[in-house]
Amino acid sequence: MIQKTEAQPHLGRSISLSDLHLGYGGRDVIAGLSLEVRAGEFIALLGQSGCGKTTILRALAGFVPVRAGRISVGGTDMSRTPPEARGMAMMFQSYALWPHMSVAQNIAYGLKLRRRPRAEIRARVAEMAALVGLGDLTARKVQDLSGGQRQRVALARALAIDPPVLLLDEPLSNLDAGIRATMRHEIRALQQRLGLTTILVTHDREEAMSMADRVVILEQGRIAQAGTPEEIYHQPASPYVARFMGLGNRLEARVEQGLLRTGNGTLPTGGLHAPQGTPEGPAEILFRAESARLGPAPGPALALSGQVVSAFYLGSAYRHEIAVGDDRILVDAPQRHQAGTPVGLHVPATALSLFPARSQTSVTGQEAAMAAIPTL
Amino acid sequence: MISRKASLLLIAPALALMAALFLYPLGFSLVSAFRQEDGGGWGAGNFLRAWQFYSADIVFSLVIVGLSTLLVAFLAAAIAGYLTLGENRWCLAVLRWLYRWPLFIPFVVAAQLMRTFLAKNGMMNNALVELGLLTPFTTHSYLDWRGIVITFVWKQTPFVALLLAGAMAALDRSTIEAARNLGASRLRLLWDVVLPQVRPSFGTGLILSFVTMMSVLSVPMMINAQTPTLLTVDMAWRINAYGDYGLANALGLIAYAMTGLVAWFYLRQGLKENR
Repeated sequence: MIQKTEAQPHLGRSISLSDLHLGYGGRDVIAGLSLEVRAGEFIALLGQSGCGKTTILRALAGFVPVRAGRISVGGTDMSRTPPEARGMAMMFQSYALWPHMSVAQNIAYGLKLRRRPRAEIRARVAEMAALVGLGDLTARKVQDLSGGQRQRVALARALAIDPPVLLLDEPLSNLDAGIRATMRHEIRALQQRLGLTTILVTHDREEAMSMADRVVILEQGRIAQAGTPEEIYHQPASPYVARFMGLGNRLEARVEQGLLRTGNGTLPTGGLHAPQGTPEGPAEILFRAESARLGPAPGPALALSGQVVSAFYLGSAYRHEIAVGDDRILVDAPQRHQAGTPVGLHVPATALSLFPARSQTSVTGQEAAMAAIPTL
Repeated sequence: MISRKASLLLIAPALALMAALFLYPLGFSLVSAFRQEDGGGWGAGNFLRAWQFYSADIVFSLVIVGLSTLLVAFLAAAIAGYLTLGENRWCLAVLRWLYRWPLFIPFVVAAQLMRTFLAKNGMMNNALVELGLLTPFTTHSYLDWRGIVITFVWKQTPFVALLLAGAMAALDRSTIEAARNLGASRLRLLWDVVLPQVRPSFGTGLILSFVTMMSVLSVPMMINAQTPTLLTVDMAWRINAYGDYGLANALGLIAYAMTGLVAWFYLRQGLKENR
């Protein structure tokens, strides 16, 4: 595993993206994105595939041309700088190791390009190999390494040139679950120790939250929300963010005279998380399976009644599918309840997120088509 | 499932064709190379005579074809490298469109073309005179060993470039981007990252080119009518003028040994690397 070595902590550079436009062919994937990253900060870009997160990272590295706007690093405009002159180190999803070189040659390549003396390169390779826990594997061929070891080589290669900015493109997605958890911790620890400004692209929210200082959630090329992991987790700004952060249960509701009504339950809107306000009329509420309870809950809660449809074991709890009227929701409980059992469930007010129902312009194609059918 | 015997029966026609059209003539020419001219019997007489008469041509063939292979390697790497790493769209389109043309031109036509191009008052010298770089008295003909090399390189570069560009296109692009990201220039990318990864294709293309050039008769016949010349010309001469199949076959075997040697070097290198 990673060993403590005498790596000098240094501060990475700040990054500023202003009104950035990026795209391929005739289409803008990113349109008008602005983001400030402090020196030494760890940012995670989180979003579904196709949301533009990798495009932003590749634009930072210089592989996607900037159509409009500015990328500046440490106050210097780098929008038009070619990739080889940016001095950023990127770690690729496939690791992109050079199969014809040994581990040591892979790690040394950046230094060789910088024409460092041979003795210095040798010392640095040994230092980097120790830093990422590669120890005595440096003479091996890359093909002889396991996935986890390759990942470490890629990290060592990126860090060897002492980069002010580290770009990580889904670095852990090819690893199995056990190693992934350890590597998250190790990369974070390294980043903290070296003080690197780091941008991580991922679609795994746990990865983003456990590693980053700030999480930026992207939706169709725009920032849906940016904030600390705690803020994003507890106070999602939109239904998209809420669903992305695991608020998987959705119920249609109405807000009437300061009261939330859904199915067979009511609750005052006072204590709810409602970032878009609580205008009267149709609304939706979202909450997590693990925050609802089968049975009474302390404090104000939304009480609903329903029937167990099925239950499955998660390890830490049983997850129950409950029919509430026509809706199906998921609720965790420590004991298994048989299918068909009528249950009363409670969702604490603090665990609910309330959003006004989507406006007509944002309904899905199917809903629009349904609405267009004239009633007989 | 088809039984073993039945499957043998299925490939029998193909095997028979191979045997009749390839193995038999090859075996026959090998055997006749060792057959003595006068009085029959076996011996290395043909080879002794071959060396006696044509040692200069053997060395000449090796040098000319070797030099051409080197130049082909250099140019094909440059073309395929630009096709893979170049960014100027206009240049890429033009190059992609142009470079394959010589592939579709037969050697004999290429030789004819070069005769008009490289002669003392050929197109190239005329153009240079027109440009004022030469006077009509200082021009000289390139229709000697240089003409052969130029024709071979012109004809074979696209073939190797085509193989090489295909192999480069199949590379994992991220390995190229990773090197660029660390600060590698185009030339270093090509030399350090791209070429080492396509070595098998490169080697195969060069060996096939070497073999092809060793076997071309029309180019040395038309461009370089003096001595020394390539072995193919000597073989044709032995057969057409003297009906001396023994010596022609001995020369053929020598040519075969030269290509075999090159292939062996290449294969040995490949094995060493995979170990």
